[in-house]
Amino acid sequence: MSAQLRQERTTRLRNAMADAGVDLLVVPGDAWHSEYLRYALDVTPMEGQAVACIGRDGTSRLFVDSPAEAARFAAELSSSIQVSWSPQPLAETEAWLAAHGTAKAAMAAPTVAPSRLARGPLGADIAATTAWFDRLMVDKSAAEADAVTRTTALADAGYEVFRNAARVGTSEYELIAEVEAWFRAQGCPENFVILGTGGREVRGMHPPGERRIEAGDLVTTELTPCVDGYYAQICRTLVVGEPTGAQLRAFAVYQEALAAGIAVVRPGATHGEVARAQNDVFRRHGLGDYVTSAYTRVRGHGVGLFVDGVHVLENVDLVLEPDMTLIVHPNTYHPEVGYMVLGDMVRVTATGCEVLTRTPRDLFTVPA
Amino acid sequence: MRRGLVSWSREEVPQATLDTRVARLQQAMQTARLDAVLAYTSFAQPAPVQWLTHFVPYWSEALAVVLPHGAPTLLAALTARVHPWIREVAHLAEVVAAPRLGENAGAFLRERLVATGKDAADLRIGVIGLDALPWSVGEPLVNALGADLLVDVSDIYAALRLAPDQAELDLARRATAIGEVALRAIPTTAVRASEVFAAVEGAARRLGAEEVLLRIAPDFAQNPTLRRMERDMPLGERYAVELSVAYKGSWVRLNRCVAANDTPSSWHAAEKWLAQTASSITVGEASPSLAGAPASSKVNAWTLEACVGMYPLSVVAAHDRPPVLALRAGSLAVLSAELELPDGPWRGSVPLAVGTAGSHSAMLVS
Repeated sequence: MSAQLRQERTTRLRNAMADAGVDLLVVPGDAWHSEYLRYALDVTPMEGQAVACIGRDGTSRLFVDSPAEAARFAAELSSSIQVSWSPQPLAETEAWLAAHGTAKAAMAAPTVAPSRLARGPLGADIAATTAWFDRLMVDKSAAEADAVTRTTALADAGYEVFRNAARVGTSEYELIAEVEAWFRAQGCPENFVILGTGGREVRGMHPPGERRIEAGDLVTTELTPCVDGYYAQICRTLVVGEPTGAQLRAFAVYQEALAAGIAVVRPGATHGEVARAQNDVFRRHGLGDYVTSAYTRVRGHGVGLFVDGVHVLENVDLVLEPDMTLIVHPNTYHPEVGYMVLGDMVRVTATGCEVLTRTPRDLFTVPA
Repeated sequence: MRRGLVSWSREEVPQATLDTRVARLQQAMQTARLDAVLAYTSFAQPAPVQWLTHFVPYWSEALAVVLPHGAPTLLAALTARVHPWIREVAHLAEVVAAPRLGENAGAFLRERLVATGKDAADLRIGVIGLDALPWSVGEPLVNALGADLLVDVSDIYAALRLAPDQAELDLARRATAIGEVALRAIPTTAVRASEVFAAVEGAARRLGAEEVLLRIAPDFAQNPTLRRMERDMPLGERYAVELSVAYKGSWVRLNRCVAANDTPSSWHAAEKWLAQTASSITVGEASPSLAGAPASSKVNAWTLEACVGMYPLSVVAAHDRPPVLALRAGSLAVLSAELELPDGPWRGSVPLAVGTAGSHSAMLVS
């Protein structure tokens, strides 16, 4: 990540702390929820837990539970940030905070904040603190949106690798092995991926199993590579062999729904409106049951420093603003053919949106 | 995020093995007068639930509820659509949709325990890893049950994990074997970290690794610190790769130091020393004996890790801290060490099973 973007985030965070009257911000992180720590210090835990205490005056302290992670963070961070490890990092954090007791401290991120720290005074304002920190990450700067744009290109290329590796007889985990090896070959350290293979019996996607791809399968996937901490996602479906008429007719609904959803994306529109535009297409085709939670989770979501940002659902009223980035995806089960997915990354612009994903919205085919 | 093979082999982990693990916990619950035990799981904190049920979430989070009898129930924040997949890969009494995990767990426990005649105010609920439990789950749980009812039982869980069963030992051997093959896949012509990572990760995942974590010190001469690959890096004449690999919930670490030319004799001596040090770890000793390090070398750092907490591996002893606990006969562990040799740095890791009193530890490497 560029030094300029790093400085930009630091400035925004300190300004937000000042606005909230916070002198000391406690930021936890682990391998699942690394986004807050990534935003604040530009580090990602690989294992264990990490707790950062970030002063508005620029002083920072990072407590982790592994000497290897401590050495790694010390090498990755500026020398002004002291890093230490302990088998009991939460106790060390408490002791350090007690020694700085005069500072107004607040903690963010209840999804990863340890209960030991949150059940004390730090838990009192955790919801409010998290709300403004989340807002920082949702309201991206142009440079952050540029980072997501760059990662989207990698997602496009990664899907081509996926498509070329999906062959009859290949197991799901062998297919993903090829994709992951390719991402590492590009210098991409992280990718979230799930897939599904099979026919009408498939209701969703999951981590790779032992099932081997068969002729006639629908093969669905979400690839979500991460570069410089910023994720981007692509959702696509392919058929092993020639698609049936039913599969083509079904997929046309998804293509229509995706286009309808993207057409709504503009400043001032809400996530709810984007969801409703997609769902209304399914309803018009008599598939209203299949946009409910019985068959699908969300119609898209924010994407940035976390894979699964604010959800695109009809009851979500987040208002879109320029440089927000999200994926629009009408992924769901179709009663005639099975589970299908189709999703593109978009970046909100001043007047509408830019579609970042370049992969055609086709129902791809590979040889049977 | 679990990007590798997630499946349940009844040959490798029989249902009876999982039942026995749960029974051991239930026996400990009885001794500690606990009415139930809760174990949280996300892919960052997978260990207890994976050990008890074979389940690891690829996304989202869940709570496994262990009652005095029967297999655990999984309260899953994942949508009901994935419940069939959960049942394929895990051994559970039931899977319950729990979108508000802490709140739903409180209600579930009240319903199941109070129905047995217990007074809600007298309940004692053990929580594995209570301190690290995310507050988004912990707060509603405390609100539902009251903080006084919740007891941290991390020590009880750690004691159980110090005595692995045969399935764990076999899985650790398999994970080690995968790691060894994967590290041998590093191309001799590699000049960039990306080439190394691609080769190792691809090889490990093709062999069925559930998860692969790679760290690299791309140029020993510049900096021996192991780094995450944030972007590609050129390799120096000597570099080191650490591979942490999971196979069906069993985690090991392996290191490989690579020299552009012939492997230095000093490295052979270091490997021999590390193997001897690992094999000398005996039951009841909290720290390894570091005697016999290669001539004119310095042991900069060492760690002994075991799966005794919420995370895949936890440090139980290290060069710069008092030991946390002492391993037992049969305990699975990983000894890692960094040396400063006369001709530069070196690092290594050895997965091992602690020997019984008076006998050597068994290394899992070939």
